[in-house]
Amino acid sequence: MRLASLLILALAVVLPAGKAAAVQDQAGAQAFIRQLGDEAIELLRDSAQSSAGTVEGVRMLFRDSFDVPTIGQFVLGRHWRTATEPQREEYLSLFEDMVVETYARRFNEYDNQGFIVDGSRPEGDRDVMVSSRITAPDGPPVQVMWRVRDRGAGNLQIIDVMVEGVSMAVTQRNEFSSIIQRNGGNIDALLQALRDQIATLRAGG
Amino acid sequence: MMLMGAAGCAATDSVDEGPGAVYDPIEPVNRAIFAGNEVVDTILIRPVAETYRDYFPEPLQDRARDMLRHLRSPLILANELMQGDFEGAGNVMARFFINSVAGLGGFVDVANHNNQGIPFESEDFGQTLAVWGVDSGPYLVLPIIGPSNVRDTVGFVVETLADPISITSRVIDSTALDAIGYGRLGLSIIDARARTIDATDELRATSVDFYATIRSLYTQFREAEIRDGEIEQDIPDIPDYTDFSETESDEPPAIPTPAEEEEVSELPPVPRLDLAPDVR
Repeated sequence: MRLASLLILALAVVLPAGKAAAVQDQAGAQAFIRQLGDEAIELLRDSAQSSAGTVEGVRMLFRDSFDVPTIGQFVLGRHWRTATEPQREEYLSLFEDMVVETYARRFNEYDNQGFIVDGSRPEGDRDVMVSSRITAPDGPPVQVMWRVRDRGAGNLQIIDVMVEGVSMAVTQRNEFSSIIQRNGGNIDALLQALRDQIATLRAGG
Repeated sequence: MMLMGAAGCAATDSVDEGPGAVYDPIEPVNRAIFAGNEVVDTILIRPVAETYRDYFPEPLQDRARDMLRHLRSPLILANELMQGDFEGAGNVMARFFINSVAGLGGFVDVANHNNQGIPFESEDFGQTLAVWGVDSGPYLVLPIIGPSNVRDTVGFVVETLADPISITSRVIDSTALDAIGYGRLGLSIIDARARTIDATDELRATSVDFYATIRSLYTQFREAEIRDGEIEQDIPDIPDYTDFSETESDEPPAIPTPAEEEEVSELPPVPRLDLAPDVR
């Protein structure tokens, strides 16, 4: 305990003041997530009645609220650097399609879930971690954390979602990196796997 | 953490690197066992679990789960104490007392009625070893049991040997106790599987590499369990997207953006996956 407080003190002295002064818009980030939750639940209700437009609805939500290129670049990891321009462009478009198709599947049944924003904390210099709970009539609530990047002037975008401590971006990154490695570092193999996966998801939905 | 550091430094093509990378040196063996487990699951465990979920009365399923958790109380208490988590230890004792007295000897989790009260928290010897600073070691897939690592496998063996029912059945040679032990193990597996059928089906359908997805989920989920939901965790830096379209060239943009892609050597922080916490 003593060591910890000494360490904090030492860090406070060493760190430049400008660094410590980074203030993220926490209230704004919470409101942003709350609004996204409301929109998602509305879409869930509509989708439960008719699945028409669900995929496009999910796509709009995803594009509006998530920083798709930043997430996509992180998910591709070090392979982003070696990818060519056309590969990057196609990858980002496939990545968006895959996420949209994956989540649209889960929008087909609405079971009176509730969405509660609990609070937030700063994460690094420019992110806010907004914590929330998704409640269901049966079963324990699921803890979901939203990592929101604050670029100032109300420009807020989600860059990661953590469900019960499991980061979606990290999971996806591990999976993609495994596919590329198993194909001798070939990024085209990942692109092909994504194309196949999207086709399968579309056929199934 | 040490492990992640090692993986982060070795940026060779054969080693997965970066945030959340899982050290998996015997991947071919693990993949083979994983495939075998999938077969056993498809032809045996999943059908039994599905039948249990769909045809066994739901209130009885809840009573079974509550009892399975109740029976783990002594081991959870021991692990809380070994981890120095005295608040957690107090919670286990309170839950055990309340449910023994007011919950029909443990069949009803009245201590956390309607998810309001003292929630069940799973602790096991693998987590205790982690709190003591023992590294996870290589990722392992165990036959039938599924995803694990060297540390959690040791934890699992110790837990199995230290369980009060299994100790008693070794001391007094009783077939009845043996039967209870095996019945409990079987029920634990079915109960855990029944509650994850939809989640795993969904995950399998939406994964391109199911093995890699499970490996990542297991590792992150265990890290989260070890932290006991506390916020202090290593979160990876997610660099901003370097906007190449504006510059119309392959050159990096003039505006410096934070680190392209550092070899971040720390583990950061899905559908709730109860990866069989009650089996332990």
